[in-house]
Amino acid sequence: MSIHFLEPADISAATALLAEYGDEAKIIAGGTSVVLMLRQKLIAPSVLVSLGSLIGWDFIRLDADGLHIGALTRLGDAERSPVLSQVCPALAQAFSLVGNVRVRNQATLGGNLSAADYAADPPAMLMALDARLRLIGPDTSREVPLFEFFLGFYTTVLEPTEIISEIIIPPLPESARAAYLRYTSASAVGRPCVAVGAVADFDTDGKCQDLRIAVGAAVETPQRLARAEALASAQTLSDELVAAIAEEYAQALDPLSDVRGSAWYRREMIRVLVKRALMEVRDRHR
Amino acid sequence: MLDSVERVTGAVDYMVNLRLADMLVGKIVRSLAPHARLQKVDPAQALRVPGVVAILIGADLGPHALYGAAIRDQGVVALDRVRYVGEPVAAIAAESVEAAEEAAMRIEIDYDELPPVFDAQAAIQPGAPQLHDGFPNNIFKHSKLRHGDLDATFAEADEIFANTFTSPPAHQAALEPHVCAAQWVGDRLTVWTGTQAPYMVLRVLAEIFGIPPESIRIIVPPLGGAYGGKGHIRIEPLVAALARKTGGRPVKFVLSSAEEFVTVTKHAATLELKTGVRQDGTFTARQVTVYWNGGAYADASPLLIPQGMVRSIGPYRIPAVQVDSYGIYTNLPPAGAYRGAMSSQTTWAYESQMDIIARQMGWDPLDFRLKNLFHSGEHFATGETLHDVHFIECLAAAVKGLGPVTSLPPGEGREVRVGRGYAVMMKSTISTSRSQARLKLASDGKVTLFTSTVEMGQGAHTALAQIAAETLGVPFEMVSVVGPDTAVTPFDSTTSASRSTGMMGKAVMLAGESLIQRFIELAVPLLETPAENLRAEMGHVVAAEASISFADVLKRSNLGFLEENGEYGTNLSLDPETGQGISTPHWHQGAGAAEVEVDTDTGQVRVLRYSASSFAGRVVNPRLAQLQNDGNVIFGLGPALLEEMVFDGGQVINPNLSDYAIPSIRDIPLELVSACIESDEGDMHGIGKMTLPPVAPAIANAIEDAVGVRIKNLPITAEKVLRALREEAEK
Repeated sequence: MSIHFLEPADISAATALLAEYGDEAKIIAGGTSVVLMLRQKLIAPSVLVSLGSLIGWDFIRLDADGLHIGALTRLGDAERSPVLSQVCPALAQAFSLVGNVRVRNQATLGGNLSAADYAADPPAMLMALDARLRLIGPDTSREVPLFEFFLGFYTTVLEPTEIISEIIIPPLPESARAAYLRYTSASAVGRPCVAVGAVADFDTDGKCQDLRIAVGAAVETPQRLARAEALASAQTLSDELVAAIAEEYAQALDPLSDVRGSAWYRREMIRVLVKRALMEVRDRHR
Repeated sequence: MLDSVERVTGAVDYMVNLRLADMLVGKIVRSLAPHARLQKVDPAQALRVPGVVAILIGADLGPHALYGAAIRDQGVVALDRVRYVGEPVAAIAAESVEAAEEAAMRIEIDYDELPPVFDAQAAIQPGAPQLHDGFPNNIFKHSKLRHGDLDATFAEADEIFANTFTSPPAHQAALEPHVCAAQWVGDRLTVWTGTQAPYMVLRVLAEIFGIPPESIRIIVPPLGGAYGGKGHIRIEPLVAALARKTGGRPVKFVLSSAEEFVTVTKHAATLELKTGVRQDGTFTARQVTVYWNGGAYADASPLLIPQGMVRSIGPYRIPAVQVDSYGIYTNLPPAGAYRGAMSSQTTWAYESQMDIIARQMGWDPLDFRLKNLFHSGEHFATGETLHDVHFIECLAAAVKGLGPVTSLPPGEGREVRVGRGYAVMMKSTISTSRSQARLKLASDGKVTLFTSTVEMGQGAHTALAQIAAETLGVPFEMVSVVGPDTAVTPFDSTTSASRSTGMMGKAVMLAGESLIQRFIELAVPLLETPAENLRAEMGHVVAAEASISFADVLKRSNLGFLEENGEYGTNLSLDPETGQGISTPHWHQGAGAAEVEVDTDTGQVRVLRYSASSFAGRVVNPRLAQLQNDGNVIFGLGPALLEEMVFDGGQVINPNLSDYAIPSIRDIPLELVSACIESDEGDMHGIGKMTLPPVAPAIANAIEDAVGVRIKNLPITAEKVLRALREEAEK
């Protein structure tokens, strides 16, 4: 039952292999997630389609339509990228908190998103940034907003033959501020119990023009809450309003239970973290 | 440290690196059921997998199929029944990992499931599933201590406090997993194994295979940590039994991290403490009942539970004491030693209750301790006289090390509160054990120490080499250490219970003194001086006017080398019905002081500062001693705040270091200090775990100081603290 390890030279060869082997195949990029799943016998593919030989998929580029991150960009490279840190320090922060330095030097952003592991850092921040994904199939290429990408635990809209090629983050106004907060209930370097990405834009009067808050790690898939975000529209983020928005998130989301915290505790922590994230975007100087 | 450069550069030849000619890969097939009769274990299909050389199943085992450190209750592999998820049912030797894994999937196992029981207190109820014949109510050990008139003394109390504390199953988490290789040549067996107790492994293997101990050789390479998890006997019988079927080829096992979690655990324990106190702040009586969850097999528990009994009372003057300490079978993986065996659980209970009592009675927790701590010359509940007691100095040193109160600005939007807590611990070491050492001095001046003390990163070989060098008066650089290898190094009971520096250290000193005596005798004709006028100094035999180096003594006596043995041991015991007698050659003493910050929004506890102290008698190596003290505190943060093996239907659901959190570098206190207390008597004592057991209660006590809530169940998670804060607010 040895596994065949295939290394296609380009994207079309990769998607062709996926088409050929169907359910038997699993894509492997950095391998930090796939190898764990293999070892725990959660998956048993007969073919591993490695993206390791693909060239030109690890880039970070600032275009007019936003920041483009190649799917094979290592999280460690993204975390250290001057361009990325310039555009969105909070995103660099989210990447810097994944696993440990060894994991980040191996794991890729596309792999992190494809794995759809709920206890992850990048998705909540990327969702707050309105990120989109480009998905490539044998004869197809489409863009999907990240908020439509995750379907449930370890499942996404990716077709069996599709691969993420890049992540696109639309430009943020100069006046916008972003924050990533994560809460670990156990070890400081553990996986998050709750993750909150927040982006807020303010007018010259300090009134909030746009607010986006995504909560991850505490729920099956990262969630935004339009109703709660709308509460901030054209408002000053007073302590009372911050508390009200945090309360909306705490009440509306359906938290899960695991070794990092019960549903009760996660609901409490969603309230605390959303509040702290809002205070951070409100009070921190850009 | 002797091999510090090798350790840092990765050059230490750990057991995982072992390669033997013609070596096969070993793999264990484990039970998926927590409790079941085995209807069928059929290896036929698996044996046909190319590359598979041998498969061991229960039916292959001879008359001595059962083994155990104390009770022979565990099959080398499961015989007709499995009792926990992860129990070895078969073992495979193959040419490659792939072949072994392929074969593992082709062994047919049919289970006839039996009702399981996982909780120790449920297991002793009438009608609970019975795990082993001959152990009604699943109780395999009941240690008792009876001291004074309990009823009368409780009647004298002004207040009686009854509290229950729990400590969950936890994992030793050594960096290196269990690794073992075995090879038979005819009827002679060689085993390479990462064990803390080579001579116990040798004895048990001789029993199982019915061969003389002289036919068995146990070699122990340097270990990458053990923390009790490699004490006693573990996978060696299985490895050796499988190796017997390979036609003389060696087979090596390296357990995966998931397997590590089901190989041995820290005992889950429930501890009930009932304590009577008077208004004047003294004790009248204490009753302790401890339920130790031993898991499916007794393993080392029958040896550890009597120690857990004397370690459950605390270092305080109490006129009447009763302890009942039960070892209980359940359908969980077997429990064994865990750094500071049993003391982590017992200190958690008695030091938590100290603060509960003090706060309720309106006393300062520190003053309450100082008033009641033992002094030298007083009598313990076992009746034994306490010697060389320094609890008060330990506590004072820990408190002093904490310094003035920290005030940190709270984070934005956070409400944090700071508190301080203290704890002291009193721990026995092994009552009956023996250490032998052999010292050889060659004509080139080099000294070799032969010892079966296991080097597992704690620096024992360094400390023993220092003791050898000091005793002989030769430079440390001249001493090298050999062992453990039972073919060349003499007997030692075990490297555990912080006994090596004290016990093996004395054996080394005695060997050194004998060696010096030999050199003096040999020097009599050479220096033409009677022995009574000769002394040894700096590696020389010295007379009034002349001296001669040890090396020259050998050369001029036409000797290549001289060697001498030293032996040190104790043989102490308690009456099994009353727990009266002498329980330990020395009491381990330690204390801790913690300053914590509690986030009242999240319940999260951050240890800002920690100050630890241990009584060392005489410090052999100050740097290694400090690292032991500090390392214990960091290790102890895990069971205090983070660590718990979580089971679902008997299966551990967090068997990896991603879901089972151990302390990371970022969890370490902002300031960590420690002190070793020395005494005029100057006896060397082990300090391998003295500062560990106080960590959890010191933190819990600091939390109550900060926010007024009391956590009685380990680990102290943020969720538990927040729940307690909410419950307190609702009152």
